[in-house]
Amino acid sequence: MKGKRIPVDGSVNDTLRSVLALLLKATDAVMVPSRIPSKESFAYLLIRDPKLLEAATPLAPVMPVQGARALQSMGRGRGGLPGILCVLRPCEARAAIELFKRNQVDLEDVLLLTIDCPGAFPTRDYLGNPEEFDRRFEEILQGKQDDGLRPDCKSCVGFSLQEVASDVHIGLLRGKPGEVAVVHRSDRGERLLADAGVAGDDGISDWEAGVEKEARVRTGARDSAFQEMKGRAAGVDGFEKLFADCVNCHNCMRVCPICYCRQCFFDSGDSVRLRAEDYFARAQHRGGIRFPGDMMQFHVGRMYHMALSCVACGACEDACPMDVPVSRVFAFVGAGVQEQFGYAPGRSREEAMPMTTFKEDELHAFEDAGGISAPGTTETQSGKSKDQDSEGKVE
Amino acid sequence: MKRFQVPGTPDEAVRELLGFLMEQERIRGAFVLAEVNPGGFAYTLIADRQLLGRAAPTVPLMPVNGGRMVSRLTTLEPVPEPTAVVLRPCELRALFELVKLGQARLDNLLLISCTCGGVVPTRSVLGGIDPVLEKHRDALESGVTWDGLRDTCRVCAEFVPKGADVTVALVGKDTRQTTDMLAETEKGERFLEGLSPSSESEPDTGMLERVGEERAGHRPAVLDRFSPDALGISGLISVFGRCINCHACSNACPVCYCNTCHFESADAEQKPGTVSDELDQRGGLRLPVGTIYYHVGRMLHVSLSCVGCGMCSDACPVNIPVASIFTRLAGSVQGMFDYLAGRDAEEKIPTSTFEAEELKEVGA
Amino acid sequence: MAGDFQPTIVGFLCNWCSYAGADLAGVSRMKMPATMVAIRVMCSSRVDPLFVLKAFLNGADGILVAGCHPGDCHYQTGNYYTRRRFALTQRVFNELGLETNRVRLSWVSASEGGRFQEVVTGFSETIVKAGPSPARTEVFL
Repeated sequence: MKGKRIPVDGSVNDTLRSVLALLLKATDAVMVPSRIPSKESFAYLLIRDPKLLEAATPLAPVMPVQGARALQSMGRGRGGLPGILCVLRPCEARAAIELFKRNQVDLEDVLLLTIDCPGAFPTRDYLGNPEEFDRRFEEILQGKQDDGLRPDCKSCVGFSLQEVASDVHIGLLRGKPGEVAVVHRSDRGERLLADAGVAGDDGISDWEAGVEKEARVRTGARDSAFQEMKGRAAGVDGFEKLFADCVNCHNCMRVCPICYCRQCFFDSGDSVRLRAEDYFARAQHRGGIRFPGDMMQFHVGRMYHMALSCVACGACEDACPMDVPVSRVFAFVGAGVQEQFGYAPGRSREEAMPMTTFKEDELHAFEDAGGISAPGTTETQSGKSKDQDSEGKVE
Repeated sequence: MKRFQVPGTPDEAVRELLGFLMEQERIRGAFVLAEVNPGGFAYTLIADRQLLGRAAPTVPLMPVNGGRMVSRLTTLEPVPEPTAVVLRPCELRALFELVKLGQARLDNLLLISCTCGGVVPTRSVLGGIDPVLEKHRDALESGVTWDGLRDTCRVCAEFVPKGADVTVALVGKDTRQTTDMLAETEKGERFLEGLSPSSESEPDTGMLERVGEERAGHRPAVLDRFSPDALGISGLISVFGRCINCHACSNACPVCYCNTCHFESADAEQKPGTVSDELDQRGGLRLPVGTIYYHVGRMLHVSLSCVGCGMCSDACPVNIPVASIFTRLAGSVQGMFDYLAGRDAEEKIPTSTFEAEELKEVGA
Repeated sequence: MAGDFQPTIVGFLCNWCSYAGADLAGVSRMKMPATMVAIRVMCSSRVDPLFVLKAFLNGADGILVAGCHPGDCHYQTGNYYTRRRFALTQRVFNELGLETNRVRLSWVSASEGGRFQEVVTGFSETIVKAGPSPARTEVFL
């Protein structure tokens, strides 16, 4: 891979801003996280006037709104948006592509630019002391470890350009001073960089090596996180304990980029407006029922509906008022079902979502008394299960 | 009115009351805040007497607005069996507003409320509620609010319920050995008949007035800082700046009942074809679109029914003081029509009625 | 009007009275500043306070709601509700520090072409004095 190496002048965000200023000249508008007027947080800004770039913070210390959701708020369907370059964390770009597959986001003249992501702080922590967390984030960008990052970020393996169909990617090379590496990932991306004068043919193997090294660390972290979650979430009891503090507010669903339904099934009359007689019958049967009810049905049901496209961005956990580890549970289950179907959300615009396609000859392990394979088993093209020992084992 | 002296602390006394009502078969269900798992509380419809032991109605917590839950129970039809519901005054008022909005039915309900000493923000007791219980109960007994409460509780003037059948006297009372329950209606008297020794009694208006005065004293700090001078467009942008457009506030609000909220419908979406025009006009556009439109729009839609329960602030994941802004505004718009949301289950909401001669200064 | 500022006033006019009155003013060639964008509604009570808010946030310098005189509503009682809703809207604007002089409710009947001319002229003057709406170029709404 080749790209354009640009030395960091000032802070990483200063340099990213100057790159953006050049790119803005070659496109209609950019969408980028920006400091809000009160300075205490960040919000996505769609910018045409270059002066507004002064507030832009392409790599922000927090992700209060998932970028795919911000992009989606500009209307659903395909076509109609002007040429926009969206600056996104890799998980946000993946989610945008998943939404595109569902006709919820217009990518016709919209390009996705991803940046190496070191992670983000929990939004409420950041809001408690913005200056302190700004300082800590700067140090993270210099290469320092910080335990205050969100748990899901610490075990994120898609922090760079792995398995995300963005058009342009900016890699971060740490050092004194550091550099950024701008690479194109698609034809459209290549044209944009050429038009903006940000194209280059520099070698970037040192950066690639750095990404691989970091990926190994993150994969280890993810494996432990999943092991821990597997233990905690085991069985109905385990699951209930994990969600003991849940008040069933559905915030997690509302901030999730994949959950795009204007009215969620779990908010609809079928879910929450039953006849009083039915509620009473249920109360009599169990002795009592809680309101709002069906909390487990909501969470597991939501998993059914979106786990195949879960990008483990952590927006759910960030927005949960009760600090329930939603993202860690969903990321764990999501990884399991995605592996089952050999699917990676956001990897490609053309890759069909598993529930919208099929092969005539597949998944025989699930037929008859075959039972559920243990997590970690995958079906290969020929239909054979990789892990022969677990065949037939029911969990 | 008849005052029933029930042995036990308030939680014990209410459990005693509900058990008595079930045993006498005067009710077949009880809707009450209960400890559903260790340290976790939720409103529960209880049909089995055994589970009444979990009832915790006076724990100072409001994970959801109970009035909204009773509405969920009775949206389609009234409860089939006599049911006691235990709600705080603002939750009861929310229920009455919802009745007027066609979203709840009161038939077969025995309404039990209390003089209310407030609740704490739900996130402030994530580690468990025990550490705050003693402080709260001391404050309750002396009739003052304490700084651990929700902002809206600290300024609440409507802490004496209107329209309840039974009121549990909590504020300014020593409830360590016995708890007083006041039968406010004939129905309340009938249901409580035989519960415990009773006597004729009047509420302690002097004490209640003092409590009201103490709370009014908090208004400048809590509410008045959102005065018109402090707001305007830039002030609104500042207050709602960190909003993440999650709509937790409207979902937690008892009177925001619409199945599909306008602000989540296709009508409120930005059409892709209009984005370029917006950029022409402004040079930039904050995303997701319509943050101020949503908040001010919601104020236009529900401020006449706002009961100041504070669920919106509680639910906000980024700690925006939504309830303080809404409550202050609601006081003003309701006052304009001499209206108080939920004081009566029949009094029409101001925009659903009119006088032929009124508001001459509006419109010319 | 002084200066270069040409305000945009969005006018919600009820079909039976105020829109007809506006028509009459036009047909009678009464001179009015060309500031108003007319939106016809069947009754002034169709106007959800959100319409006023949306127009304001979109950058309208002034918003006018016009209907039949109270007592004369084509649908008997519609404009009584309009009056209440407008009172609510103005009060909300006032409490939030938003300029209440940018929103107006007026009663204009079908035969009052001259009155319509007065309303538009007078309101336009008010809006010119108030200047362009701050919401027009605001980015962080």
